[in-house]
Amino acid sequence: MLVWSKSGRVLTWLLAIPLFVIIYGLPIGVIALASVSGQWNDVLPSHFTLEHYADAFRAASFDSLKASLVTGVLASAAALVSGTWAALALRRIQPVPKRILDLCFFIPSAVPSVSIGLSLLVAFSQPPVLLNGTRLIVMIAHFVLISAFTYGNVAAGLARIPSDCEQVAESLGARPFYRLRRVTLPLLLPYLIAAFSLSFALSMGELGATVMIYPPGWMTLPVSIFALSDRGAIFDAATLTMILGMATMLVLIGLSRISSKATVR
Amino acid sequence: MADAAIAGVPASRPRLDSFWVVPPLLILAALFFYPLSLIVREALGGNEAFTLSHFSEVLSSRRFLDGLYNTIIIATCATAGCIVLGFVLSLVIAFVPFRGAKSVARLIDTFIALPTFLVTLAFTFIYGSAGLLNVSLIRLFGFDLPPVDFLYSQWGVILAETTVYTPFVMRPLLATFSQIDQAQIEVASSLGAKPLRIIRQIILPAALPALVAGGSLCLLLTVNEFGIVLFIGAKDVITLPMLIYSKAIQEFDYTTACVIAVVNVALSLSLYTLYRLIIAHFGGNRAGVV
Amino acid sequence: MVQAMVMERSLPAATPSASAAPADAVGGSRIGFENVSVTYGSLTVLQSLTLTVNPGEIVALIGPSGSGKTTALRAVAGFVRPSSGRIMIGDRDVTNLAPYDRKIGMVVQNYALFPHMRVEENVAFGLRAHGASEAVVRARVPECLAMVGMGAYAKRYPRELSGGQQQRIAIARALANKPQVLLLDEPLSALDAQIRRSMLDELAKLHRDLPALTVLYVTHDQTEALTLANHIGIMRDGRLKAFGGAQSLFRNPPNRFAAEFLGRANLLPVNDLQPAGEGRVSVRFGATVLKARNHHRLAKGSDCLLCVRPHDFKLGSSRPDANRLSGVVRSVQWQGDVHNVVVEVAGECIRLSSAPMREPPEPGASLDVHFDPADVTVVPEDGADG
Repeated sequence: MLVWSKSGRVLTWLLAIPLFVIIYGLPIGVIALASVSGQWNDVLPSHFTLEHYADAFRAASFDSLKASLVTGVLASAAALVSGTWAALALRRIQPVPKRILDLCFFIPSAVPSVSIGLSLLVAFSQPPVLLNGTRLIVMIAHFVLISAFTYGNVAAGLARIPSDCEQVAESLGARPFYRLRRVTLPLLLPYLIAAFSLSFALSMGELGATVMIYPPGWMTLPVSIFALSDRGAIFDAATLTMILGMATMLVLIGLSRISSKATVR
Repeated sequence: MADAAIAGVPASRPRLDSFWVVPPLLILAALFFYPLSLIVREALGGNEAFTLSHFSEVLSSRRFLDGLYNTIIIATCATAGCIVLGFVLSLVIAFVPFRGAKSVARLIDTFIALPTFLVTLAFTFIYGSAGLLNVSLIRLFGFDLPPVDFLYSQWGVILAETTVYTPFVMRPLLATFSQIDQAQIEVASSLGAKPLRIIRQIILPAALPALVAGGSLCLLLTVNEFGIVLFIGAKDVITLPMLIYSKAIQEFDYTTACVIAVVNVALSLSLYTLYRLIIAHFGGNRAGVV
Repeated sequence: MVQAMVMERSLPAATPSASAAPADAVGGSRIGFENVSVTYGSLTVLQSLTLTVNPGEIVALIGPSGSGKTTALRAVAGFVRPSSGRIMIGDRDVTNLAPYDRKIGMVVQNYALFPHMRVEENVAFGLRAHGASEAVVRARVPECLAMVGMGAYAKRYPRELSGGQQQRIAIARALANKPQVLLLDEPLSALDAQIRRSMLDELAKLHRDLPALTVLYVTHDQTEALTLANHIGIMRDGRLKAFGGAQSLFRNPPNRFAAEFLGRANLLPVNDLQPAGEGRVSVRFGATVLKARNHHRLAKGSDCLLCVRPHDFKLGSSRPDANRLSGVVRSVQWQGDVHNVVVEVAGECIRLSSAPMREPPEPGASLDVHFDPADVTVVPEDGADG
């Protein structure tokens, strides 16, 4: 408690709470409102409709949702496997090369997404590997962009699981792979889920690289939202944004349920 | 025990172990380092002879210089905004908690998981020319033209980026604040220190590592931000990532795009190095970042 | 539930119960350190340790933090690689063996139970890791749980158990594989005082049930070492400073550090050592001549220390052959079942403990104390022991 007087506290709140509401509550509020508005010429929308949502689950928009979900899940899963593998492998390496390799796995997070999109476009539009115009290149872009975060999360988790447990397992005769399967990975599970959640959320919202490389027929939600908003269809854009946010949140909440269940168990 | 801590890592056995790192490293090389090297090659002349002419041409062009200038101004202002706003909001949540402060903290945290353009889209509805604010003001005071008109300028971008990236400052700050011993503040209060003095002499020094780490992360992210700028779509607010996009996708000028990308990557890698150095300097734990 | 368990545990344990494993099922190998050194860069944490734990014996390594005792234990487990020297388990040189090939049992301070496994799965872990059949697992797990009195807790998760219960499970888990040697790394440090005492009794009983089990026990607590161990090694700064039978080490500490670390001791600076017949020597403490045993055969005329345990002092006048000292009481402290008195004698403060007195001496009063020459020995000054 920093401010002791009642009046001081109330004053602080009177200043702070509206700030919170305006900065973080209002944006979500207006998007939600816009997604159900038929017309919004006045201070508040003049009438409400669910038409935008009905549209969103038809045709093109629905394909976008599917594309986003599939890309998000596949890219996150791939990043999880690769990041976990890297984090586990790096534990066994001498400190100096370890720091360098650690940096290598982190660097993709420091490169702007548009540049990653451009580099993939340049690299895979020419032999030996031609991927331009495929769905795979979108997944690769997402994978590269999120891999550093996955790796970081898993590595942080590995540093926190009690090393005693692993050593005791070894003293009990568990060979490395057995120990990994029965002790390390189960202990790591909450961190793996957290890593997957973060990757998935990042992938769902990814725009910079995707907009550079998406092939026809594999428009992710953010790209669709941009196309709609660019065309002036901002109510539809708001609706898709709501759907994007809700889909992301649903998956995240589901995963955190699993995670807390795994931890409690 | 001291000696147990030193030996905390499982004993290292033969060097074969280090080969396990090869598969993920190969993937990273093929999908990240190889493409990145190709844009450098493209910027330096591609299949033809090595040349710096593309660089000198692009780097001296008006559009590039404007883009660089915009990028730096926007990133600096937005980062400053994030630091100030993040510090104030975290202070209130941590030290003058109100009912529901926890949920507010969680709401802000979820912003990290939401796409950045959500805020921009929302701003269109709030601050746009036909938005909530302008319509309300027109109704109330009878203006002829929308009185609030900053959204389609760099201020709109700065405000949006500040909103979006403040949570990245708050996260480590709140973690640090939760480690500050409340007794310290109580003792300081009992010794007669006023809130501002406590903030200056106790909270700020403790928060400095988190603030610097969070701030440098924001700087990195705002330099690279694309979605917000794209969605605002103002003609005269062109940043480096935006320039790369329009060169490559709208003008099919890949060479120029590659040159700008190289500059952008170099800029953000140096910011990233700075960020890592700061974290290493303060120690990951104290900075509240992992 | 807990009460029932305590009842069960307090049954007399003269012979191993039928439910416990047969004594010959577990253990029976020596542990040998041969010149083992461990260094990290320029830091030497263990220096040329040579030590043998005989089959069926409990050896306690005690010492302050950073003394290298835990490193020594972890070297046996295989988590620390000696930079030189050999480690033997039985007749096998295990120095270069992976931990999982060493056939050891290990229990650590914070139990390190696998939080995601039930108690029975924890205990079965080692068996399954070795590919034991489910039939073996089903037979062996209850056996081990019974050994530590935790048979009723098989289905629980570790977080549902108290610290003491978790530590029993950790012990059962370590014994399930019938290891040749058991390594205990500060197993009781995380428990509170009362449970620690009862766990100490349990460990002693466990070793009576499994007399062939070889145990290396690392602790910083002298009571644990004195209660359990056949032999005690005292470590400091990566070196073994003293090693010997528990009682003899206590009665005849070989140096100042050993005297002060194992039990409390008054170390009076004395000089002019002279033979006094019957294995006794006389030494001068200020103006007083005192008699003592010369266990370490110190040379005639040498300066040394006289080690007197606080309990060896008696108050008041005495038999004629006892050593006598007179001094001034500096402080008196009552601790329930004991009175601690500090007396200043010839410029030295000596501490003595006595049974609670109805009328303890006042500070400032003069006081006569005496002690039996048979109870005390002269000890070389440090430096003499290398």
